[in-house]
Amino acid sequence: MLLITLYMSREMTRLEGNAHEKEGWIIQKEVSTHMNKEKKRTGLAVLMSAMLVLLSACGGGGTNNPTGNGSTTTPQTSADTGKTDASNLPDITLTVFDNLANYAGIQSGWFGKLVNDKFHIKLNIIAPNLTGGGQKVATQMVSGDLGDLVIGLGGKDYTDAIKAGLLLDWNKNGLLDKYGQDIKKYAPEALKANSAMFGGGTAIYGVGGNVGSGTGPSEGSDMGFGPNLRWDLYQQLGSPKIKNLDDLLNVLKQMQQLAPKSDSGKPTYGFSLWSDWDSDYSMNAKVTAQLFGYAEGDNYNNNSLILTKADSNSWQGMLDDNSYYMQGLDFFYKANKMGLLDPDSLTQKFSNVSDKYKDGQILAAQFPWASNVYNTPEHLNAGKGFKYVPIDTQKVWSGGYNPYGSNGIWAIGAKTKYPERVMQFVNWLYTPEGIAESNYGPKGLLWDLNSKGKPELTDLGYKALPANNVPIPDQYGGGNFKDGTNQLNNATLALTMINPETGEPYDYTLWTSYLEHNPDPVTKSWSDAMGVLTQKQYVVKHDLISVHPAFFNGKPPAEEPADIKLKRGEVGKVIKQYSWQMMFAKSDDQFNKLKQDMMTKAKGLGYDDVIKWQADQYENTVATMYKK
Amino acid sequence: MNASLTKVTNSSIVRKRFQSRDKYKLFLMASPFLILVLLFSYLPLFGWIYAFYDFRPGIPLSQSKFMGFYWFTSMVSNPIQRQELYRVLTNTFAFSGLGMLTSVLPVIFAILLTEIRNSAFKRIVQTITTLPNFISWVLVYSFAFMLFSVDNGFVNNLLFKLNWIEQPTNILASSEHVWLRMTLWEVWKGLGWGAILYIAAITGIDPELYEAARVDGAGRFRLIWHVTVPGIMSTYFVLLVLSIASFINAGFDQFFVFSNAMNMNHIEVLDLYVYNVGMANGNYGFATAVSILKSLVSLILFFAANSLSKLVRGEGVV
Repeated sequence: MLLITLYMSREMTRLEGNAHEKEGWIIQKEVSTHMNKEKKRTGLAVLMSAMLVLLSACGGGGTNNPTGNGSTTTPQTSADTGKTDASNLPDITLTVFDNLANYAGIQSGWFGKLVNDKFHIKLNIIAPNLTGGGQKVATQMVSGDLGDLVIGLGGKDYTDAIKAGLLLDWNKNGLLDKYGQDIKKYAPEALKANSAMFGGGTAIYGVGGNVGSGTGPSEGSDMGFGPNLRWDLYQQLGSPKIKNLDDLLNVLKQMQQLAPKSDSGKPTYGFSLWSDWDSDYSMNAKVTAQLFGYAEGDNYNNNSLILTKADSNSWQGMLDDNSYYMQGLDFFYKANKMGLLDPDSLTQKFSNVSDKYKDGQILAAQFPWASNVYNTPEHLNAGKGFKYVPIDTQKVWSGGYNPYGSNGIWAIGAKTKYPERVMQFVNWLYTPEGIAESNYGPKGLLWDLNSKGKPELTDLGYKALPANNVPIPDQYGGGNFKDGTNQLNNATLALTMINPETGEPYDYTLWTSYLEHNPDPVTKSWSDAMGVLTQKQYVVKHDLISVHPAFFNGKPPAEEPADIKLKRGEVGKVIKQYSWQMMFAKSDDQFNKLKQDMMTKAKGLGYDDVIKWQADQYENTVATMYKK
Repeated sequence: MNASLTKVTNSSIVRKRFQSRDKYKLFLMASPFLILVLLFSYLPLFGWIYAFYDFRPGIPLSQSKFMGFYWFTSMVSNPIQRQELYRVLTNTFAFSGLGMLTSVLPVIFAILLTEIRNSAFKRIVQTITTLPNFISWVLVYSFAFMLFSVDNGFVNNLLFKLNWIEQPTNILASSEHVWLRMTLWEVWKGLGWGAILYIAAITGIDPELYEAARVDGAGRFRLIWHVTVPGIMSTYFVLLVLSIASFINAGFDQFFVFSNAMNMNHIEVLDLYVYNVGMANGNYGFATAVSILKSLVSLILFFAANSLSKLVRGEGVV
């Protein structure tokens, strides 16, 4: 699950820079992934909101593990956290306003106990993703109090919060110097960047997340984008080469003929889409761009209607003739004509899609994390599973390391009563110990260091990770591993960075011991066929990747003028609506007519003005990076 | 009024007669409701000021950019814009109009219900038809999704297994007969509830009227036509006039949950449009501007309906 979370948060982080208003809707869906494992049956048709209510109720009550004052164990203090020993401090509860969380209520389970033992802190998470979305953020901003710890407030909301005096300056009273030495040590550039962009060079209003440095992709073993296909069926077809998107459809058609029914006897489809993550366009159609090195926006400005190339100065308008977005619409239109597109696509939510993946009803995925729910030990041991299959001409979009930090900013609320305690906690999350333990639990439980000082998973670790319902011993908080995972859902340092204490990456899927651990039949067959161990290794080796380098000019992105914002909203609505109609068009004529209608309407509502403004932003900032 | 009376009569005795001794008590009793009206109906009017600013949550109005009438003019700034507004208003009026046409159904239903002699059966029917009113539209949609989804939908599975259809279809994602289908959902949900008022009105009709009519030889249908229907007509009229005032408020939640790209052209009512363009994108100024216009239109419609009622029935509702 951590992997899923990571990818999703990466996808989100990128999106939120461009369409932050919508981000609530975008991330919201992830919850259902977690949820659905338990609630498969009820999950079927329950509308998102109804489900979320159910979920948070269950999550809150399930694995609560109250730790009394007296029973706290002495916290382990490593060299790094020596200054932050909080074991003698009074118990407090911090309100965490977390724009990335998909869990609301008190953090429970093993992570809850870990934080309580070390810091005597309980985390009460408020999650706009679950209720209210963008409006919840707006309400909280108007109320004038964002809680103690503020996570993932990105883009315009963040600058507005600073302007409104809702965030604490970390330089005030030497807070950062006293309690944040590890953040200064491990994310110095990110602190400087925040200060330059938002604090006028003197104040610091937080630190970006997912900080990393170095060249190359920052992803773990899987990339953010595939395509991933049912490897067993693909092999039965003799692993035909896929040169372009049309080949992909043909292969999928043959796979569908091989496996016309799912595990539970339902008809199979090549793709199943969902509309509840859409912002100004159909998200699924847009991902086509990401298979070819383009992505919406430029990862810095608020420009969601242009597609920019990850590693060179090039952009296209979403509706340009033959833009990757239009190719995406065409691709899914053809898929629908061939009977490869789930007819429920338009009306269902991501949770429904996730259920279909689990059942084996869908044969391909744009996102590796979306199809990974099918890769259960039972399926894998039976030789069935999803794996990456390259398209010859593709360039997988990849986020490079960002020393300045992502939009998933860690900040402290201006009205907090405990600035030092919050700072101590955030500081710990930036230490090697904090990263390892907040992701994989305390040392000795799921992981340990071997005689050479290298990390390896314990037997329990192999069973529990990434996020399985495996019981955790009572002394570590009880409950099961999945329910106790860190619900803050925001990385501090990039997990693919090297842990200075072990010399290996933080991400367990990249540990030598893990890669050498005997793989399941599907992974083994894939590795043998591809000659590499992971998707990342493959795309790097065969140059099927475009890495987007971090951009920094010391300034915050330009504010979207009110008229452009209104036009974008209206244009986006038209694009979204007509895109879906085009994908499900009954004939070529209808497809072309809808396309024409979309153009006329979008242009009439100010599409050109929006594109001009967005492209100007790109040319003036990120594009200059490639011109040097 | 009191003051003028004192002036004219200048007599303390007359003044006493016209002054209610309980006036303070009565005023105190009414005041909680006056305060509520003030709080919820008049105070929010202050919010209209946001229609003239580029408001962003958290930033005080004094620091927000003044936009003048930009949000108002942007609604009609070019042909496509106007087309959009026209489309949205057409939908709104269509749903309101259909709602009015179907408003006779609860009347008919109430009459039929009161004619049932078996009281146990009557109560069961009334309970069953009233229940849907208490189900939120969100749950109604999940119910609809369970019935009509292609893969797991009950209806599609049934028809498919019976070999009545060759290919399951996604009924929820169809752009045909959207107005009709949405109205049917609404009738299903509101029929029993809407009938309650009329049943009450029918109970209030003087039984002597029925007896007299029976003596004159009226049968069951004539009783209904000449006694029951005229007896509840005034109730129906008041409700109809009130509903004209909310003609432009076709509702939101029903259309919000049922809307998708396929049916958006026909389902997008004014409130949904405001939500999609205004709220969902953080254009609060625009959203406020549209709702100001909406309030004005409602006010005009209401006074028009009221004077029409005065003209036709000789009495208004206010």
